[in-house]
Amino acid sequence: MNPATDRLIDTRGYIFLAVLSAAAVLVPILTLVIPDESAFAMPPYLVALFGKYLCFALLAVALDLVWGYCGILSLGHGAFFALGGYAMGMYLMRQIGTRGVYAHPVLPDFMVFLNWKELPVAWWGFQSFPYAMAMVLLIPGLLAFIFGWLAFRSRVTGVYLSIITQAMTYALMLAFFRNDMGFGGNNGLTDFKDLLGFNVQATETRVALFVASCIALGGGYLVARAVVTSKFGKVVIAIRDAESRTRFLGYRVETYKLAVFVLSAMMAGLAGALYVPQVGIINPGEFSPANSIEAVIWVAVGGRGTLVGAALGAFMVNWGKTFFTGALPEYWLFALGGLFVLVTLFMPKGVIGLIDQYKVRRASKKPTAEG
Amino acid sequence: MSFTRRFMLRATGAAIGGALALASTGAAFAQGAGPIKVGILHSLSGTMAISETTLKDVMLMLIEEQNKKGGLLGRKLEPVVVDPASNWPLFAEKARELIAKDKVAATFGCWTSVSRKSVLPVFEELNSILFYPVQYEGEESSRNIFYTGAAPNQQAIPAVDYLMENEKVQRWVLAGTDYVYPRTTNRILEAYLKSKGVKQEDIMINYTPFGHSDWQTIVANIKKFGSAGKKTAVVSTINGDANVPFYKELGNAGIKATDIPVVAFSVGEEELAGIDTKPLVGHLAAWNYFQSVDNPINKEFIAKWRAFTKNAKRVTNDPMEAHVIGFNMWVKAVEKAGTIDSDAVIDAMIGVSVPNLTGGYSTMMPNHHITKPVLIGEVQADGQFNTVWQTSGLVVGDEWSDYLEGSKDLIADWRKPLSCGNFNVATGKCGGAAK
Amino acid sequence: MTRYAQGRAPARVQAISLQSQARNRFIETFSLLLAAAFVLMAALLIAPKARAQSPTDVLTYLTTDRFPDTERALNEIGTSGLATAPQIVEALAANRLLFDAAARKLYFADESGALFDAATGAPAAGISPDDLKRVRLNNAVRRSLNAARGALTLMSPDPARRRAAAEAVFKSRDASALPLVESALEKESTPAIRKKLEEARAAIIAADASAPEARRLESLETLKERGDQDALGTLATIAAASEGRVKTSAEAGVAAIQSRLAMWRNVQNVWYGLSLGSVLLLAAIGLAITFGVMGVINMAHGEMVMLGAYTTFVVQEWARTNHPELMNYSLFIAIPLAFLVTGAVGIFIERVVIRFLYGRPLETLLATFGISLILQQAVRTIFGANNREVSAPAFMSGSFDFGALSIGYGRMWIIVFAMAVFAALLFVLRATSFGLRMRAVTQNRRMASSMGIDTNRIDALAFGLGSGIAGMAGVALSQIDNVSPNLGQSYIIDSFMVVVFGGVGNLWGTLLGALTLGVANKFLEPVAGAVLGKILLLVFIILFIQKRPRGLFALKGRAVEA
Repeated sequence: MNPATDRLIDTRGYIFLAVLSAAAVLVPILTLVIPDESAFAMPPYLVALFGKYLCFALLAVALDLVWGYCGILSLGHGAFFALGGYAMGMYLMRQIGTRGVYAHPVLPDFMVFLNWKELPVAWWGFQSFPYAMAMVLLIPGLLAFIFGWLAFRSRVTGVYLSIITQAMTYALMLAFFRNDMGFGGNNGLTDFKDLLGFNVQATETRVALFVASCIALGGGYLVARAVVTSKFGKVVIAIRDAESRTRFLGYRVETYKLAVFVLSAMMAGLAGALYVPQVGIINPGEFSPANSIEAVIWVAVGGRGTLVGAALGAFMVNWGKTFFTGALPEYWLFALGGLFVLVTLFMPKGVIGLIDQYKVRRASKKPTAEG
Repeated sequence: MSFTRRFMLRATGAAIGGALALASTGAAFAQGAGPIKVGILHSLSGTMAISETTLKDVMLMLIEEQNKKGGLLGRKLEPVVVDPASNWPLFAEKARELIAKDKVAATFGCWTSVSRKSVLPVFEELNSILFYPVQYEGEESSRNIFYTGAAPNQQAIPAVDYLMENEKVQRWVLAGTDYVYPRTTNRILEAYLKSKGVKQEDIMINYTPFGHSDWQTIVANIKKFGSAGKKTAVVSTINGDANVPFYKELGNAGIKATDIPVVAFSVGEEELAGIDTKPLVGHLAAWNYFQSVDNPINKEFIAKWRAFTKNAKRVTNDPMEAHVIGFNMWVKAVEKAGTIDSDAVIDAMIGVSVPNLTGGYSTMMPNHHITKPVLIGEVQADGQFNTVWQTSGLVVGDEWSDYLEGSKDLIADWRKPLSCGNFNVATGKCGGAAK
Repeated sequence: MTRYAQGRAPARVQAISLQSQARNRFIETFSLLLAAAFVLMAALLIAPKARAQSPTDVLTYLTTDRFPDTERALNEIGTSGLATAPQIVEALAANRLLFDAAARKLYFADESGALFDAATGAPAAGISPDDLKRVRLNNAVRRSLNAARGALTLMSPDPARRRAAAEAVFKSRDASALPLVESALEKESTPAIRKKLEEARAAIIAADASAPEARRLESLETLKERGDQDALGTLATIAAASEGRVKTSAEAGVAAIQSRLAMWRNVQNVWYGLSLGSVLLLAAIGLAITFGVMGVINMAHGEMVMLGAYTTFVVQEWARTNHPELMNYSLFIAIPLAFLVTGAVGIFIERVVIRFLYGRPLETLLATFGISLILQQAVRTIFGANNREVSAPAFMSGSFDFGALSIGYGRMWIIVFAMAVFAALLFVLRATSFGLRMRAVTQNRRMASSMGIDTNRIDALAFGLGSGIAGMAGVALSQIDNVSPNLGQSYIIDSFMVVVFGGVGNLWGTLLGALTLGVANKFLEPVAGAVLGKILLLVFIILFIQKRPRGLFALKGRAVEA
């Protein structure tokens, strides 16, 4: 209907990318260049906070790609996010080296403390940054591939698919909670020191991570956009709207779904990897099904199937959470819960939908005013 | 709430990027005048709200009382309550917000070890002070954290000693929730029991997930393990939520304290308030404080607490006492230092001694842990504990356990010139984490 | 590094530093020695008294507020010839034994609180209980108490108490109780209690090294026949403590009982599995209506269960303060009330939110998730974040033996209740006009509407029905789990698994799914551990869904594609 949606970057996309680039340029200046006393200086804690939101936004974009465009409601995207986070966390743990409290050259603190003697095989190679980064993409990608290959081939759809994705993340959460798994159990991985030789707590590193998150989000958006505007993307959207018909037309539905699902999982993994050094901890709580549901809600709040809306929703909901947990610590769940109900009832297309509606109304008013 | 509005404006401003100029009209908060802010970082929602909400209330009461006495350094105290919602990364975020935005002088908070681990780097980076009120596994000593709960030697080892001497226990079930506190405590206990001549086949270790609710199989196994002809006891490090179904199942299975006593380290008056304790009479708990401790200072505290919460049946527990001690210590240290500056207060803290609620004095040691008496209590039909044994003196919290291989040579001493959280007495070197 | 601070004076504590490690070790050792010396001295002081056994001495022991003295008094009270001994023992057991520490006088109170002098049994006038201290108990004292009570109540007119007394003697194996057991055996006419008494006698004789070997061997056989966990413990103790033929015979008994118990373990696993399965069924069956039949992904389902549990709490609180006599029946009041309360909440939610979202199942997920947050926080605000106490009525406490299996009444009634709820629900859906209408609406809404069914009303009632059933489940779950705002959260995922595994839209599937998962869990748990067992089951469900994408019992026909 709208020809603009076929362009790689539509108007909405331009605004989104412009805001991201502005943030990527201005935040370093405001934080690092402008002296602290100035009214324009941005306190470092806000950098970490917004960096975190950017990671959530990338997760939301990834989720919107599968849900909004392919109709796969994944209630387990938090699992891919967390796996990416763990891969990054393992790299950061290996970087601590002898600076851990027990000063063990190889084993992370929690292993010394539980009397482990050797580094488990799963941890091998994580001292190398390129290897760890490859794992950030490969592990979530592989899990998504295996899971999707099984599920899409046997045509598990709708709520069944949603519930088994939930089972997947729940099983992973239980598994990572086990100390015997060797990923730090409930405490997870924490007390990071260096990232590529830079102190993760230094403001400069935080700013760099912030900029990296901006770039990742922008990149993720462009990739998602490229997918959905391509011919391949048209088929994907067709699958969302009428899966059986698309299959009857001769498309291998499961292959398309699998490709989108794997791509989305990798984006989520990348988001997790950027998230971990900025918040300073990764633990099995990230796998909890409630987290994945929340991610779905970000997308719904922003507007499903719009990509920009997903990012916007992630930003708004998380910012609201930050604000309300401080301002109304005992009542914020009412606000958050109420928001979810109101959004589903009154804004079925999310914030972006609301904006569009407003535009349409203005556009339809104009001719009547003139005529 | 002007600060939140400003924060909101600033947040939005930064999000949009360029619009920041509109927002940050105010300068950074002046710290010299006005009230002294005290951060309260306890989960008010999510799974840990069960335990932590009470601690928030006790902090509010202590601050209110201090203000009635004229505040601190001539300034009022102002509590800043946030809700980290049992979400560990959110703990770190909220800690950062408290320190960097609200400029709190000290923070009282956390319950789980993971929440403490999550905020630890934040407190160290921004050089602020955290008081941590819960019994934990030890193996940590940070310059910026004061541990007012029990270390394993202030709870677990005396409890095992008691059972060995008074109940002649020879067979041990170490049952815990699968996370770091039970893992470490059980490891320490296993080494300790073996050093006392207990054989491997007389120790059964069992881990269950958080919130485990179906205990039939495990209770049956305990019963089976206990029928080998030797006196058996269960040492439980089962975490909060899972305890109610566990004890209910024990009652259902007819395991009485006279047959197989269970000694718990995470079950206090608050937890028992949710259970019908009649079938549990005689099961034990080891803490550093019981509500039933009979002395005037405790009675006064209970009365004040009940008046504050407007609930005549409200119970008190050990972590609450830890906050009372921690808060009083902090007040004393600030008065001693004459400032709320973190470095000065951290230095002033060591050696500060305040009355605890069991009738003695607790002192902050150079390892940032405190001295405490150890009490063993038996569950009564009214949900209270009856103290059946007590250490004669005070026990110093031992941050690095002697029974763990990695930590037996480590000590912490934050006084100058050593100023180290993990000094290795064998190599004479301070480990990596210390600043 | 362990350090002990001996003094309470801050100055001394401060003095302890790194350099004085060695000295601290010395202090530690010294204090241990000191303690040992003290104990020795105390023992010497008490020793001469121990020989005397006059009734007054026994009473004095009870006034020292020391557990070992109390224990000693209990051991000697039976042979002291004190006329008031039974009352004293009963009062101690009921926490009604009081003493005046200064005057060294002992009193007991009766149920009404009236005081009596323990030495004479005469009413004690002019003494207020507030001036007295309670004689405290610990486990060691409680054990002696049970033994003493056992010996004293073997002849009780109440059969239940005689039975309990025989069990107490069996456990204590107190040789001094043997004559009492023998004389009780002569008078006992109830066969079951006779058996218990014989077992108690066998336990005493078998454990008594001075008894003739032939009698000991005979007694060991009796123990072996008893064949349960307690007999196993007794035999194992005897095997460890004796030699020769007694030892071999006891060991043979241990082996025999162990192999018998190993066989019973499978039965036990099935029973535990059924019990867990019925809990899952209760949690999931309401969801089978709201999710399975109506297609609403109801994330607030767990909160309905929680509301049911809180209803139970409120009912019990009300009964406790206003009608204590109703406490035992509180659950019967709570069940219909919970159904009505949660049903009403369900209808309210359906009318206000869900009815706008039919046909958009994924949106219902988001809205109900929001509702679940609101409900949790509302309960937290009203009742506080702490657990609330819900007590078990008498008929749900305790257990009975079935072979080597100990079956708790609580668990048993929960299974019965789950099955009853299932049957009732099935009846409602199959045999009532409401059920017919409901099935019509879910199968083909427009057609049903054209036939004159008020679909709006049916939707609301169906959602209310599902929620109400969840509330009734909450009443049952309050008996075995925490009553806290998080209660629902711990069941919601399991409930979805059960419904999806069983097949959406099929009640029988839910039943079979719940029981299968329960039993499978209980067979996996001893092998793989609780956590791994659960993970394996989740993986199994994921794989199972690949094989049968619509669960155990798939709906067939047109409804599938809707």
